[in-house]
Amino acid sequence: MAVDAPRAASPGEAAPGHAAEPLLRTRGLTIRFGGLTALNNVDFSVAREEIRAVIGPNGAGKSTFFNCLTGVLRPTSGAILFGGADITGLPPDKISQRGIARSYQITNILPNATTLENVRIAAQSRRHSWSLLSHYRAYRDIIEKSEAALDSVGLLPKAYELAANLSHGEQRTLEIAIALATEPLLLCLDEPTAGMSAAETQQTMMLVRSIAKHLTILIVEHDMQVVMELAQRVTVFHYGAVLAEGSPAEIQQNKSVMDVYLKA
Amino acid sequence: MSRRRFFVYWVGFAVIVALLAVAPLVLPEFWRRFLTEILIWGLLAMSSDILIGYTGMVSFGHSAFFGLGMYGAAAALLGSSPPNLWLALLYGLASAAAVAAFVAYFSTRLRDIYFAITTLIFSQIFYVVIFTSTAWTGGENGLNFSRPRFAIPYLFSLRFTPAVLHWFVLAIVALSYLLLRRITHSPFGMVLQSIRENEARTRAIGYAVERYKIVAVMLSGVFAGLAGVLYALQNQFAAPDFVFFVVSGEVVIYNVVGGIGTLVGPVVGAAFFLLLREAFSRFFTEFYLIPLGVIFIAIVIFMPRGLLGFARRWLNG
Ligand SMILES: Nc1ncnc2c1ncn2[C@@H]1O[C@H](COP(=O)(O)OP(=O)(O)O)[C@@H](O)[C@H]1O
Ligand SMILES: [Mg+2]
Repeated sequence: MAVDAPRAASPGEAAPGHAAEPLLRTRGLTIRFGGLTALNNVDFSVAREEIRAVIGPNGAGKSTFFNCLTGVLRPTSGAILFGGADITGLPPDKISQRGIARSYQITNILPNATTLENVRIAAQSRRHSWSLLSHYRAYRDIIEKSEAALDSVGLLPKAYELAANLSHGEQRTLEIAIALATEPLLLCLDEPTAGMSAAETQQTMMLVRSIAKHLTILIVEHDMQVVMELAQRVTVFHYGAVLAEGSPAEIQQNKSVMDVYLKA
Repeated sequence: MSRRRFFVYWVGFAVIVALLAVAPLVLPEFWRRFLTEILIWGLLAMSSDILIGYTGMVSFGHSAFFGLGMYGAAAALLGSSPPNLWLALLYGLASAAAVAAFVAYFSTRLRDIYFAITTLIFSQIFYVVIFTSTAWTGGENGLNFSRPRFAIPYLFSLRFTPAVLHWFVLAIVALSYLLLRRITHSPFGMVLQSIRENEARTRAIGYAVERYKIVAVMLSGVFAGLAGVLYALQNQFAAPDFVFFVVSGEVVIYNVVGGIGTLVGPVVGAAFFLLLREAFSRFFTEFYLIPLGVIFIAIVIFMPRGLLGFARRWLNG
């Protein structure tokens, strides 16, 4: 893998791994389900420490895009580069180990485990997971890390409740805490505010902003107001292809984007 | 665990082990032997709980691991003179581990019923191989051998009287239980339970799920093999019947009856099932399977968490 070499060679650019190098880039990403082309030749890149909103009507391919990035689906063609390395076709666990985490559009947690255990098992995936003879509670570092992750999303008071007994909004937040516990470089949030009340949505947005300090975030979000406030740039998907990309203001003015949203 | 529960747990454990230790001194020979066998079948059922209860994989092939432990021990006891206990353990565990590694490698790629069927098929293949390799295994007739002495060079050497054998089995089963319990509470054990709860999610947070499953099957297989070695020591024979899939099915029944995901439950299930079978076969002769089946169905319907889960709920009011 010739990691950063081509980029470093281009004039006026700093050393490899510099912030100017996009953290994530896809080239010609395409996936077909039988006759349906769910992603069509997607060229996409996101810079380090950017918050990028991904929008588009239902069925546009946003979740499918996340599924390709995280290894759940294998693209039919095209490439995914993360930190300069080709990660196309790697299984989800390898991609997670490289630093991409995600939350799910449909809540996906361990319902019969406590809130803390949901986060602890995620934190443990980086360290000590092959230990067979020590009690899991002996690893204070993991527990402290998990408690910190819960604290950062405001769920610490519910640490010992069963995840199944949390409210819908709390479960959505737990999704984010689980993803954070794996200490990712890139966090993909798939409609984190789905089904949340207005107040919960507002809280979640504050949360996303607070965790974004050292993190790159891709977020699928339908509320345009929220998108405008949060994201530096917006990418619009339509029928599996990138329809437009730009600053929130540019996207709001974009003629073809308005057409799509007025039709929908 | 709270202080109080911790205390109650260890007192309970000590009392039960003490009762089981005293039993051969007071029980008549038939029931002494019966109790030793319950412990051995209990260990086999416990080993399978690592897969059924903790990882969410139902194995219908535990007879293969049990049988390989048995035949491995047989080979060591027939091949060494005087027969050596430690060699029997070594051969038995190594054979079970090798077979478990083989089965694990292929079967863990499949899930749910496909996993169960694959383990079943593998165990039947081993059954056929053992049945037909007459020169090595004695085929249909199996192998007979004599018991080794319970000896550690320069320290002691005891004859395996029925009582000594019972204590030996009890010690191994109790230690296996403590070890397996620790493993189920280890970081590795927590990963297995996460796989059971949500396999895709476990993979997504960075676990190479297949590797954990392979190790789980091997771990389970080695303890099943240990039960096979103990059975060989107790009965002084190895026979293909014990590799047959019916044995695997009974192991699953012990788990379901006793309560999966508890380690102790499967032992309780084995005791319950074997005692009932003994009683019913006296009263109902060859029709004993009918009342046994009725009771089994009743337990599945009315105590879905098994006897232990039911007792626990009842005790907690
Ligand atoms: N695993 C799959 N098999 C078949 N079709 C799929 C699969 N996943 C998604 N699709 C289809 O791909 C299209 C894009 O879906 P999705 O990515 O969920 O859209 P979005 O998240 O933008 O609403 C839809 O038409 C959907 O039905
Ligand atoms: Mg979607």
